[in-house]
Amino acid sequence: MHPAGSAAAGTPRQPSKRRIPVSHLGMADPHQLFDDTSSAQSQGYGAQRGPSGLGYPTASASPQAAFLADPVSNMAMAYGSSLAAQGKELVDKNIDRFIPVTKLKYYFAVDTLYVGKKLGLLFFPYLHQDWEVQYQQDTPVAPRFDVNAPDLYIPAMAFITYVLVAGLALGTQDRFSPDLLGLQASSALAWLTLEVLAILLSLYLITVNTDLTTIDLVAFLGYKYVGMIGGILMGLLFGKIGYYLVLGWCCMSIFVFMIRTLRLKILAEAAAEGVPVRGARNQLRMYLTMAVAAAQPLLMYWLTFHLVR
Amino acid sequence: MAFTLYSLLQAALLCVNAIAVLHEERFLKNNCTVGWGTDQGIGGFGEEPGIKSQLMNLIRSVRTVMRVPLIIVNSIVIVLLLLFG
Repeated sequence: MHPAGSAAAGTPRQPSKRRIPVSHLGMADPHQLFDDTSSAQSQGYGAQRGPSGLGYPTASASPQAAFLADPVSNMAMAYGSSLAAQGKELVDKNIDRFIPVTKLKYYFAVDTLYVGKKLGLLFFPYLHQDWEVQYQQDTPVAPRFDVNAPDLYIPAMAFITYVLVAGLALGTQDRFSPDLLGLQASSALAWLTLEVLAILLSLYLITVNTDLTTIDLVAFLGYKYVGMIGGILMGLLFGKIGYYLVLGWCCMSIFVFMIRTLRLKILAEAAAEGVPVRGARNQLRMYLTMAVAAAQPLLMYWLTFHLVR
Repeated sequence: MAFTLYSLLQAALLCVNAIAVLHEERFLKNNCTVGWGTDQGIGGFGEEPGIKSQLMNLIRSVRTVMRVPLIIVNSIVIVLLLLFG
């Protein structure tokens, strides 16, 4: 544990995100989602710890020294730290059973360029040609390298921003109270859960062989929060006309975005050949895609109209 | 707008209860639906089973799996609602 002083006086942190150009894709390790800066940092801290560390022990020496001199408390501290280490080991071993941490890391391997391009895609998906996710040795490429890959960063940030903007909107209308924030968040989460369960049930009933995982589905369903935020902000600035205009635009964009994305996942064979959808089996899948895409604008309106007066 | 996670839990519990109390003879018989007791293998391997048989499978598995946990959860919820309203 470095003293807090060395961290503040330490070397300026090296940029932790190097943007790897796509042409160097083959050289980058596909299984390493995040850049490894550990060696650079430890060198920086080791060099700095000598001079700046001297300042601290003298100031805090006396109370700490008196505390540590007592052998009983020494033993107690050692025991406590060993307990903590054991507990941490236990949690680390078992966390993978409940929350797929390694799988989640894939969804957060984003960088600024990806976020910018994805937000542009969410607001204007009409000119984008290629919606396929690139694969590399059987695993989908991290979102950092492919703008079509789903991520959880944007939905998570958009959800939190939505709750805050809802609080802002309620505040400007003198309807705010702190528990309303929790109510908004809970309500949006409940609708999201309901959507996910309904879609999973429909996918099971229609027996679609798809590689659409639950987390992917949560990511796709979370993209509508971006449009909702835009609508509410415009509604705050320009009143109901601005709200309806922006919300209408975002609804259309999300509709097209969802159809083009889900078409590749659910209607894989038909979409690959580009033939118009025919046959009972494909028809059901088409209906499901349309239903999911149509539910997005409805939910976007339902979750925001009471915030704009 | 009072649609919260708690009401979702309540709705889910009520739905599972509804699935558990379905009357076998009336709704899950051979003549009106695909097959409560029919041999599922007849459906054909390599072909998707179809919505009705999927639904039957789902309902049957929910009933089998959730029978005992439902008893426990229902008792807890009844006691809590009686105590705390």
